[in-house]
Amino acid sequence: MNGKNKNSGPPLTCDGCREGLQEYLDGTLDKPESLRFFLHLRECSGCREEHDRLLGLFQMLDSLPDHEVPADFDAAVLASVPYAAYQAMEPLRRERVPVFLEEAFLPRFVRARTVRLVGVGVASISAALALRGDGSAVLPVLVVAGLVPEILVRLQGLGRRALESMGRAES
Amino acid sequence: MFDRHQDLKTIRRCKRGEEAAFKEILERYRGAIYNLCYRMTRNSEDARDLGQEVFIKVFSLLDRFDENYAFSSWLFRIGTNHCIDHLRRNRLRFLSLDGGVGPDGEEYEFQLPDTGPGPDTVLQRKEALERLEEVISDLPPHYRAITLLRHDQELSYEEIAEILQLPLGTVKARIHRARNQVQQMLAARSYDI
Repeated sequence: MNGKNKNSGPPLTCDGCREGLQEYLDGTLDKPESLRFFLHLRECSGCREEHDRLLGLFQMLDSLPDHEVPADFDAAVLASVPYAAYQAMEPLRRERVPVFLEEAFLPRFVRARTVRLVGVGVASISAALALRGDGSAVLPVLVVAGLVPEILVRLQGLGRRALESMGRAES
Repeated sequence: MFDRHQDLKTIRRCKRGEEAAFKEILERYRGAIYNLCYRMTRNSEDARDLGQEVFIKVFSLLDRFDENYAFSSWLFRIGTNHCIDHLRRNRLRFLSLDGGVGPDGEEYEFQLPDTGPGPDTVLQRKEALERLEEVISDLPPHYRAITLLRHDQELSYEEIAEILQLPLGTVKARIHRARNQVQQMLAARSYDI
């Protein structure tokens, strides 16, 4: 056994080696731990014999032959698929969007075309007055408040379209 | 081993009722599921019936599939549970001569006299694999399933934990115990592989 390597920690005992041999062969040990096993196995013929035996078993387990699937396997499965039900469900599934993207999430008066037009009008007039140098502090507030309904409705529309295009890309 | 993203795209086409998408899933997984069922039962007729039932169940439950998980994990979970349920229903038929399965499915004892070939017999690889398959098929169902998922399907401990919905530590412990049992059973039967 080699206990001189500072990275490998204390040398492994035979009991410890036998206990952790499966994990060593699975490759699930971290590097320093794996190195302790490597060093012990290099020096201990008894544990190396056990290692080789277990490795042989692992290799056999990994190479079990595949059995051929019967030719008629698919037919019964495909005959049972409820294609019509899935096709009928598809439109319902497609309409699913987060609640905040549904039109009804915004109050009716916010969505009303008149409110949105008036809001944009108020915002435009307020912005024009502010640019002409009218010093009223209310004007910036009116600009923002006037644009809110239009912005909310447009953001919802953008969100829905983005979601639809994502769905198309994924499928 | 399995392409999670590709599976998800195919599953979404299945949900639209596209027949070709169901065929793709079958093409991708029929071998793995059939072989899992075959090694769990060691009977080709049972394997065919169980494998078909697994796919029929999966295809009828696609709306319940959680897309946050891998489709392959969900499929193997249904497949493994279906096989274990089948073995439980037919327990008498599958009781091993080597011992009994305890109520938790984990207890086992080995009392067979040494009736296997002598230690100096040179076994061909094919014969050795057949014997190994025989030993695996005599493991308790839970050990059998976990051994096949690890070695036959080459899944990681983490994937197996997701499939069987067990803590990682339990999965590791069960795989270790299953391998130990395989070694003990091989020794009890004097099968030299």
